[in-house]
Amino acid sequence: MDNGGNESILDTYLYETNTLLEQLDSIVLAAEQADTFTQNDVNEIFRIMHTIKGASAMMEYESLTTVAHRIEDMFFIIREKTMESVPDPDRALLFDMMFLAIDFFRSQVEKVQNGQPLSKDIDKLLEKINSLIAKIQGDADGAGNAAAAPAASAVSAVPETAEAGFPYGLRVFFDEGVGMENLRAFMLVTEFRGICGEENFTFFPGDVETNAATIETIVSQGFVLSFRKEMDRAGAIQVVSGSGSVRGYQAFDNPAGATARQEGPKAAAPAAESAPPAAQESRTAALKPAQEKPVGKNVPAAPAAVQGAGSHPKESLISVNLSKLNQLMDVVGEIVITESMVTASPDLKGLKLDNFTKSARQLRKLTDELQDVSMSLRMVPVLATFQKMQRIVRDMGKKLGKKARLTLVGEDTEVDKTIVDGIGDPLMHIVRNSMDHGIEESEADRIAAGKDPEGEIILSASHTGGEVIIQVKDDGRGVDYDKVLKKAVDAGLASPEIEYSRKEIINFLLMPGFSTNTEVTEFSGRGVGMDVVKKNVEEVGGTVVLTSEPGKGMTTTLKIPLTMAILDGMEVSVGSSIFTIPINNIRQSFKMSDSDIIHDAAHGEMVKVMDNFYSVIRAKDVYGLDNGYDKIEDGILMWVESGECTYCLFVDELLGEQQVVVKPLPNYINTFNIKQHGITGCTILGDGNISVILDVSNLYSAIQ
Amino acid sequence: MNMIDDGTSARAGLEEDVEQYLVFQCDTLRIGVRVDCVVEALINQVITPLPMLPDYVCGIINLRGEVVPVVSIRLRLGKPSAQEQSIIVLSINGTQLGVLVDRVDQMVKLPRSSILPMPATSSQKLMSGMSSLPDGGTMLELDSAVLLEH
Repeated sequence: MDNGGNESILDTYLYETNTLLEQLDSIVLAAEQADTFTQNDVNEIFRIMHTIKGASAMMEYESLTTVAHRIEDMFFIIREKTMESVPDPDRALLFDMMFLAIDFFRSQVEKVQNGQPLSKDIDKLLEKINSLIAKIQGDADGAGNAAAAPAASAVSAVPETAEAGFPYGLRVFFDEGVGMENLRAFMLVTEFRGICGEENFTFFPGDVETNAATIETIVSQGFVLSFRKEMDRAGAIQVVSGSGSVRGYQAFDNPAGATARQEGPKAAAPAAESAPPAAQESRTAALKPAQEKPVGKNVPAAPAAVQGAGSHPKESLISVNLSKLNQLMDVVGEIVITESMVTASPDLKGLKLDNFTKSARQLRKLTDELQDVSMSLRMVPVLATFQKMQRIVRDMGKKLGKKARLTLVGEDTEVDKTIVDGIGDPLMHIVRNSMDHGIEESEADRIAAGKDPEGEIILSASHTGGEVIIQVKDDGRGVDYDKVLKKAVDAGLASPEIEYSRKEIINFLLMPGFSTNTEVTEFSGRGVGMDVVKKNVEEVGGTVVLTSEPGKGMTTTLKIPLTMAILDGMEVSVGSSIFTIPINNIRQSFKMSDSDIIHDAAHGEMVKVMDNFYSVIRAKDVYGLDNGYDKIEDGILMWVESGECTYCLFVDELLGEQQVVVKPLPNYINTFNIKQHGITGCTILGDGNISVILDVSNLYSAIQ
Repeated sequence: MNMIDDGTSARAGLEEDVEQYLVFQCDTLRIGVRVDCVVEALINQVITPLPMLPDYVCGIINLRGEVVPVVSIRLRLGKPSAQEQSIIVLSINGTQLGVLVDRVDQMVKLPRSSILPMPATSSQKLMSGMSSLPDGGTMLELDSAVLLEH
């Protein structure tokens, strides 16, 4: 397909197909739990397959179209015959097959996305589908199976029907639903008679001109022509290719003897003859949906579509390009800055402007609202990401032979889209870890430990103030601290002499190159996992905290600030420098005096706040500033906190609260690793000056 | 003085074998940059210092809402600071960088052939060439890409 103008069609296709696949995943997962598909499910799946089939056909993705078509057929039959027709032992097969199909679709769509060629190898998948269809139709015999197959364009297992003396066969399929296939076939016959002469070919069914019952045969098996000469068949192919109502054709050769050939037509055309009743019944059953095609196919699709649509509340949704939203956020951010530049302009200092102040306040309210709305545009519920984890738990459970369920809490929590995109992979890794390392190998172990034999992984999301907290909590065997420490020492990450706290030991897991697996499994154990998780989470501005009770389980907590772009900050001064500390990180600020400072053995300073001791860090010293207060009573102590890290920062003055737009530091500056020292960004203040934004936890780790 | 944003329009009228330079003063040296890298020249701009950086990195400035880093060419060349006030903002491979200089000197057009490579014995990595100036002095050509390296 040429790209240019078709790019948006491709985008739409990808977006719609991916969305449909996700819906399909959910439906099948839930159905597997319930061990059945409800009528609603069946209709929904039928509708989804029909849509994917149509869209894929339009995009000329043959393999996708074929598979979707087969599944659509299968679910049509299930709908007619209800789930009762699926024998119990085969239900598991059905669910498995659906997942296989979903994965197939996904992999193909990914290939499309990456501009790679699609696989043509769908035979195995089709085989599975076909055998399931056969089982559902109560027909275990191969002929019925093969008979059902030609309803679609799959490779047919029907023996060639070329008759003796006419070794060059051609099987022609007409477009679905085109109608009057027998007459169309006859038209072809007339044309061929003109080209090669009546005596040089035969055709089956032979009575297309007069017998409308042959439509069924033609639709399900194709119209079969047999030519004496290859040249004639080639000519016929030309004609057929040019014909508007022909969907496709198959050429086949039969050098074999007459007798063998005689068997062929009989076995393959039971409809035209009085075949064993079972076969007959299955043929009509199979044909009925085929027969439905010209007229009915569109009809069942329509009510299914309506039903499908009806079962979802109709939401007014519009999909917007993410880049437009980014642009909007940028502009709104600039408005916030400019608004404060206007209202806090030094030109207005000292002037008494009542009306201006009133309007300025109104403007401030409106810009706040504008900001809230534009930020909410980018918020999406974590639900979609969480549900992806269901698949992982299921698949891994099966592969590892472990029974575990995934419980979701707070899945409607909304989070900025970039964050949702950024935590997808980390969450997958964490859930995989829980399944692989956490949940015990055998149910017996779990029962012995007094646990429910089925493992549980709780995936939760919640808001607190300016952060979203996402937790993965498993009730597996937890961290083996000794083993971890030993591995850390072996890997050179820890020293054997030092005594490490549990917290320190568990943090070794987050270091690069760490893995307690002695072998690399398909899922984890390459030792490139948790540190990459940490990096990905930090990229969206968050932190990762691990806790574990040996024997009881492990909890991984991701804390991510809700928005990275605009934050509420407290301006403080240290000497002639101005810093901004995010309000979310400030617990309290107070004045103290030198006498309140307690010194520890290593010349560190501490203060006592509400029965706890906290380190005192002097901003002036950390940053080597020339001026700034030295006496504690001159300045002010800010009790700050970020994740697990909490201390008191000593600064000169509090200048006031400001809503600031975070601007990243220029790349050139970042090459000096200044981020490690607590400076992660800056902001342009109302008066045009630049204030440096402090990262509370980085600052602390920098001076350790 | 504000210049054209991208030097290409300045070069449009140039003949093939001529290069145009903005020359600035740094202590006793006159250094030139190709005009196609020059974005703007500023004076008396407030620089916000950033801690934990080498001394030649003065800090950052607010250029109409954009945060641009500034380096001192004096300190970068190992010379003492002299309360410089002029900043020339360069665009180097898409990255903006401000250079703190003593003052802006002149704009010159020089034939390409007159720009000679630095002597082999010179350890001066920042300069990529030298040339005689019409008024008799010597200009060193600044290699801006090297400026972005440490």
